[in-house]
Parts: sequence; C-alpha cells; structure tokens
Amino acid sequence: MRWSKPGIAPAAVALFCAMAIAGAVPGQQLTVYTSQASYSPPVFDRGGKPYIAVADLLSPVGASAPHLKGKEWRLELNKAEARFTAGKDKAAIRGQEADLGGKALVEDGRVMVPLAAALPLLSRLLNTTVDFHQPSRRIFVGNVSMRFTAEFKDGDAPSLVLNFSQPLKLLDSSHEEDHSGLLLTHSNKTTLTFRKDPLVSDLNKQDFGAGAIQSLSFTEENGTASITVTGNKPLQIIRSEDGKTVTLQPQAPAVAAAPEPAPQSIPATAESQRRGSEFFVMIDPSHGGNDKGASFGGKLVEKDITLRLARELRKELEERGIATRLLRDSDIDLSLERRAEITNEQHAGLYVAFHAGRPGKGVRVYASFLTDPQQPLASRFMPWESAQSGALGRSQIAARAVSDELRKKGLTVANLAMPVRPLNNLASPAIAVELTPEIDDPQSLENQKRQNSVAAAVAAAIAQVRSQLGGRP
Amino acid sequence: MIPRHFQITIALVLLAILISGVVIIRITHKEEALTLQAAEAAPVAPVVGGKQEHIQVLLAYDDDQALRWRPADVFLPADRGLRARETLRYVLSQYLQTPSPHPLGKGSEIKDVYFISDDTMIVDTTAPFADGHPSGILLEEMTLTSLIETLTANVPGIAKVKFLVDGKERETLAGHADLMSFYQTAAVHELAKEFE
Repeated sequence: MRWSKPGIAPAAVALFCAMAIAGAVPGQQLTVYTSQASYSPPVFDRGGKPYIAVADLLSPVGASAPHLKGKEWRLELNKAEARFTAGKDKAAIRGQEADLGGKALVEDGRVMVPLAAALPLLSRLLNTTVDFHQPSRRIFVGNVSMRFTAEFKDGDAPSLVLNFSQPLKLLDSSHEEDHSGLLLTHSNKTTLTFRKDPLVSDLNKQDFGAGAIQSLSFTEENGTASITVTGNKPLQIIRSEDGKTVTLQPQAPAVAAAPEPAPQSIPATAESQRRGSEFFVMIDPSHGGNDKGASFGGKLVEKDITLRLARELRKELEERGIATRLLRDSDIDLSLERRAEITNEQHAGLYVAFHAGRPGKGVRVYASFLTDPQQPLASRFMPWESAQSGALGRSQIAARAVSDELRKKGLTVANLAMPVRPLNNLASPAIAVELTPEIDDPQSLENQKRQNSVAAAVAAAIAQVRSQLGGRP
Repeated sequence: MIPRHFQITIALVLLAILISGVVIIRITHKEEALTLQAAEAAPVAPVVGGKQEHIQVLLAYDDDQALRWRPADVFLPADRGLRARETLRYVLSQYLQTPSPHPLGKGSEIKDVYFISDDTMIVDTTAPFADGHPSGILLEEMTLTSLIETLTANVPGIAKVKFLVDGKERETLAGHADLMSFYQTAAVHELAKEFE
C-alpha cells in the first residue's frame, strides 16, 4: 500500500543513515512549505558553507531524479529543465543561466548546491513566487504563510489567546524544565514550536507587564518558528477544537494536582496520536497548470472555476469549525496519482474534488464506482485501483447529504456513481462535485452567488454527516 | 563563336527543363499529400468481410445526457476479435458523423483489439480518441459505457475490458474517466443504468 505507515520507519532509518554518511550537520535543516505539504531536507556543511541535495529539495514537489547526460546533470519539473555541472557555480534553469552562489558538487551521484540556490531553483522551476527566510532556513512556496494575533486578558485569571489564520497542523511544545511530556509548565518559560506550519509574524516581542504572563516573542531558526511566552507561573496550554486557537493560562491548582491533565490539555504523546485521527477535509481543485480541464469558451477553463470553488468551500468549512487542506492553492501541475497519495498519506476525513463540465444544468455529485472490485491482498493492504472499497459506504453517505443540501438551495442535482479518477485510489471517504453551466450559458459557471451557494451547501452537508465519516460532531 | 540564335535556343531549352522540373516536383508533393491525407482518413485496420447482422448498439446522446439502444445493420466477421473491433468501430463511426449525437475528435478510431485471456480484452485506440475527446466527467463516462455495453451485447463472454491509447496506458480519457482500471462488464452494466 502506497500510504502504509510501516514504510515510514525504514525510510526514516535510511534517511538517517544517508545523512550520517553524507555528512549532514546534525539537526540542521531547511523547511519548505508548499500548499500541499511541508518537508525538511537536511543541510550539509561543505567547506564551511551550507549545502543541500537537489533531489532532497525538488523531489517532494515532483521533480525527476537528476540524471547524467554528458557532463551535465539534468532534472525535470513541470516540463521545465534544470542543468548542473560539477564544479560550476552557474546552472541553466528553464534555459536561462542562474547563479548558484557557489560551486555545484556531485557526491556519489547526488547533486549538491549551496543553500542559497534553493530560491532560484524553486521559483523558476515551479514558476511561482517563493519567499526565502534565509537566516532561519524557511522557504514559502506561493501564498502559503499563516499568521497569528495575540490577545492578552489581564485580571484575576489572566490568559493569552493566540488566534491563527489557519488550523494548526502540528503543535509541538517544549518546556525548559519539564520532561514529563505534559503541556503543564513548571518553569517561567513556555515555547511552542511550529515545525510543519508556515507561521510568520512581524512581531518580535510584546510585553504584558510583571504578572503571571509577562511577554510573548516570535522567533524563527533552523527551519522552525517558535512562540515563547514568559511569566512567573507555569502555564497551561489549551488548543481549540478547530485547531485555530491556542490559549495559555496559569496552571490551575486543581488541574496540577489531578492525576491526568484536563480533557482539553493535550499530552504531547497523545497529541501526536490525535494528529493522525484529527478530522479534516481535503479539498481538491481539480486540474491546474498545463491541465486546463474543460474549456467553456474565451478564457473560461475548468481549472480556474474549481480553484475558486475550493477556496470558497475552505472558507465555509472553517467558519463551521472544520479543518481543511487544499491540494493546490495556485495554478500548478499536480498529477491525479499524487493527489491521491497526499490525501492517503495525510489520512483525510473526507476528500472533496471540484469539477466543472458540460452537458446539463445544475450540479452533479459523484461517489466512486469500482470498475473492478478486488479483494484486499492482505489485511492492511488494498490494491491501488480499488483502495476506495473500504470507504465506499461513507462516500455514498457524504454524496447523498451534499445532494440533499444542494437541493435545499434550489439547485438541480444529480447524484451519480462513476469511476472518476482518482476517487477509486482514495482510502478515505471521497466525493466529486461537478458544477455545470445553466442552459447554454457558460458564464453562469463564474457566477459568484452560485459558487457561494454550492460551497455553502457542501459545507453544511459535511458538518451534518461529519460524525458518520469518522469525525467528532 | 556560337551563333546568337543558337545561344537563344539553348537558353530556352534550359529554361523549359527548369520549369518542367519545378512543375514535376510540385505535382509529386501534391500527390504525396493526397496519398497521406487519404491514408489518415482511411481506417487504420483493413476492412474485413463477414455477413451483415442486425445488432443493437448503445449510443450516447449529449443533449439529454442519456444512452439509448439503437438497431444497426453491420458487417461482422466470425472471428471474435475482429467482430469486437468492427462493433466498436461502428459505434465510433456514429459519433464521427455530422451532426453527431456525441461528437468525438477527428481521427478517433479503434486501432486494434486483442484478448489477453478468454474473457479479458484490451482495446487499443488512436491518440486522437483521447487527445480530441471533449473533457467532462459525464461525456467521458458516456463514451466508455457506450463502447463497453455495445461490445458485451454483441460479443459474448467478455468479462473485463481495458483501454489503451496508441498502445500505451493513460490515466484518464480526457482528465476525468478512469482508463487505468480494468472495467468489469457486469459492473459497467450497472453503470449504464445511471444514464437511463
């Protein structure tokens, strides 16, 4: 199974061994944030200069492995090519010369470039804006960054409420003198470390006085962002259900004395387990990049309509406290297979793909149709082409609920079962929603009110059947 | 010294040879273009014999998003593979007519069909069949369902069908309908009910 967990441990061991052999600086990493995922390639020291392996940087975004052709090492990404020559400080990217900031090295078939070269490589190959926070080694591809606001409440029960613009994927905490693994602090300093979330802030430090909560500071280093809160008492951290709010408040004596933390307080060990089961909706704006999807005349193409619908659904779901992730938030190429892999790897609670197409009018809602149902190969493995079989019942529940909500909005709806790629490759409940033009009026696909109506109906249906899909109501 | 009238004669002869050469080259190119055009328009497989049979074909109608059975008189060979190919080619020929109930890209054709086991068939299509297919979930699924249902109605014993495009696997027909999977004909029979 392509998303099997047992594969992660050997991969981690292999990566560790490779890093040790290759001379990676222990603990030093770069973090790349994309709309699909974040990843942290190791940083190597070569002559006192930080280097990264080109494959580590570009493979996660879909680049081919570098291969030797003549004296040049070549790789492809999105039909664009990058060429490197060992010992040269220039590379050719999309046919144009780019300064790498140092010589390219080739070690055991691995092409290494200075860390600074990550910016031209990603921005030119992906053809998108890239923001590189070089001192802290954090790279933001496209418009992925998330921000936070801090609200301090003084008084007898002071608290500091951190509101994040997106639900937190991962929240690690460390406390200088606390090794218990609980989120209850025993020192005057609590640090929240964000390794996977693209958190940025213009705030360096904010003082709140000399009470239980005294200051907040934001720092970035070594591929991570951190919020540090100081005070004169241990602090308790409470994370909201939707993952968008974190509240810090002095530890209550009763809670401190209790054998187990309060229900909202998440032990660090349990937190990692909960991450895997946290319900979120993976929204797929189908097509993108060179794949325009269906054309409706002029510049109106399916890939743009699906992206607008996806963003609208994200807004609607988040207003209802349901976490979301977008498979693409810009005009990029992403294969159907990769979309399924990402969704399976992240264990989405529900996958919703948007489409737009002819003929007909209204909206069509699709659940999967298994063209060739197969038995599982073993208890934990499913054939790729029928991975959906275990979730088909829940997909049908979701599809029916969405259809019902769309009808309530006065839309013409058809509820169908079709082998739409990649529904059959998904292990989670999965549906596709296809918006069709009103009679002979392709421009109706761009109608904002209609798009809002569809997104609101889909969100309402998901909120309604969330508990049946595996999420908490 | 060569007389002047002789020089003029030689010059005229050379000019005539040059003009003739140009004309011949142009005619040759035109012939080649016509031959190529004819070859592209012609079926990629030879026309086969067989007796005329009265069969039922399931055709897609875009206007009402439906598939409907229609009678047809088609020459079908006795050989099972050839019979399957001719049946599918007949369906595509209906879609390539003008006006068409379900327009497909010019050059859409069945290149070949072959059995990989007694009940499992591979259908190899031309590149324009996929490249020129209108993109859309329903349109793509209607095409595949129409072909598979017509095939199983007229060539008994086929349990599974898979489509190739120009001899290679392709992920989708035109961005939506799954082409990687084998289609169980019994399952497609259920799928066809979605279009009733």
